[in-house]
Amino acid sequence: MTGISTPGFLARERTIAAPGFNRWLIPPAALCVHLCIGQAYATSVYKVSLTDRFDTGATQVGFIFSIAIVMLGLSAAVAGKWVDHGGPRRAMFTAACFWAAGFLVGALGISTGQLWLVYLGYGFIGGIGLGIGYISPVSTLIKWFPDRPGLATGLAIMGFGGGALIASPLSAELLARFDSGFDPTNVESVASGSAVASLFVTLGIIYFAFMMFGAFTVRVPADDWLPAGFDPEKVKQRALITTADVSANNAVKTRQFWLLWVVLFCNVTAGIGLLEQAAPAIQDFFRDTEGGTTAVAAAAAGGFVGVLSLFNMAGRFVWSSTSDVIGRKPIYVIYLGGGMILYFLVATVGDTSTALFVLLTAIILSFYGGGFATVPAYLRDLFGTYEVGAIHGRLLTAWSAAGVVGPYIVNGFLDAQGEPGTLTSAAYQPAFFTMVGVLAVGFLANLAIRPVAERFHEPSDPTEKVTA
Amino acid sequence: MTARLVLAWALVGIPLAYGLYKAIETAANLFAS
Repeated sequence: MTGISTPGFLARERTIAAPGFNRWLIPPAALCVHLCIGQAYATSVYKVSLTDRFDTGATQVGFIFSIAIVMLGLSAAVAGKWVDHGGPRRAMFTAACFWAAGFLVGALGISTGQLWLVYLGYGFIGGIGLGIGYISPVSTLIKWFPDRPGLATGLAIMGFGGGALIASPLSAELLARFDSGFDPTNVESVASGSAVASLFVTLGIIYFAFMMFGAFTVRVPADDWLPAGFDPEKVKQRALITTADVSANNAVKTRQFWLLWVVLFCNVTAGIGLLEQAAPAIQDFFRDTEGGTTAVAAAAAGGFVGVLSLFNMAGRFVWSSTSDVIGRKPIYVIYLGGGMILYFLVATVGDTSTALFVLLTAIILSFYGGGFATVPAYLRDLFGTYEVGAIHGRLLTAWSAAGVVGPYIVNGFLDAQGEPGTLTSAAYQPAFFTMVGVLAVGFLANLAIRPVAERFHEPSDPTEKVTA
Repeated sequence: MTARLVLAWALVGIPLAYGLYKAIETAANLFAS
């Protein structure tokens, strides 16, 4: 991949910032990418339209998005070094091309009634755009904000959550324009396949333009640039923060990488398990003990999902920024230890009041978002900035794995408890107690993290570093 | 540079504000009944 020649306007050298460049232009450039690729979590708007269009089941349609998430993990892991060494503009440009092409090929598949083209387009091609786009601004943000890496990466990764918040209502409004018979306020209403194809073309064009703005706004700092008043030696005084560099190839040989992999896997598993089941869960928790009627209406359950989405997004920024002050290891003690207590409380007293249930689960989701957003800064602390984007890409395989395991744990236990629509809060206890155990494993893994041994460090002379 | 900064933040801030407004509108359903 590194052998591919790069057009001059995308070259890293052409993106080095001139003196006086304002670093606060970098977060919006990163957000331009993350707000677009966050659409991946706003696909429920047209899921039923696709099952109708292809006359198939929800599983076959759900497979489109599963391919996209798997490709996210794979492309982030495989292309990480290429992203780090080629600079953010080339990566953002490439991500925009893949992401937009994914929509266009997907639209062709919907128009012609060929599901495999949607798998190839949105799933495979778009998924590559997702992975490259997700990691594209990370190392650049960390280099521009060595004094506040948690805040910087938190802002960008918050955008991934924000992208879903934008894409859901935007897609519903666009579908209503393309199909006059579609009413987004009526849950029974289903948009036509041609409306979804038009939506894909429109989103592809909008996202391409948006991501291009990010690609041509982003800059990398000069090698000797430091923010005014920033002293790297002061940062180094914290035990886990290194000023040395570890390559991606060496990072995966360290215990610290795999401990952090476990930490991320456990945190994401616990969050996804709840997120996947959110709307039915709140209805089941407040169903009468005979498994009959529920006190929570479908519209209110939808509102609950909205509350969780807001806390998921806010947690990314708030908790990640807080980690700059209290440190990365302590913040994960809060995410994982606090998560254990909260999950236990949801399982045992969550059904006593709706407000308490919402409060406990919302904080759990804020920890889930915070875990995603803080991990790049944790990697920077442990492995330095040299190939932090590539290391982050490899760590994201934990996300892909958790995306399978989290829903499997919750759905597996619930299936054994009875039929959907008849479950009560007691049915959730085995799954939620399992999540307490999963979080405990992550908690211990986080406590076991120590500084990386010097034998894994790159030579301090930059000319001796192995460049990819 | 200031104009670019305002433009860049507006470009991401306006859609984000729209998404937040719509999410809060949806979330309000939880407390409607």
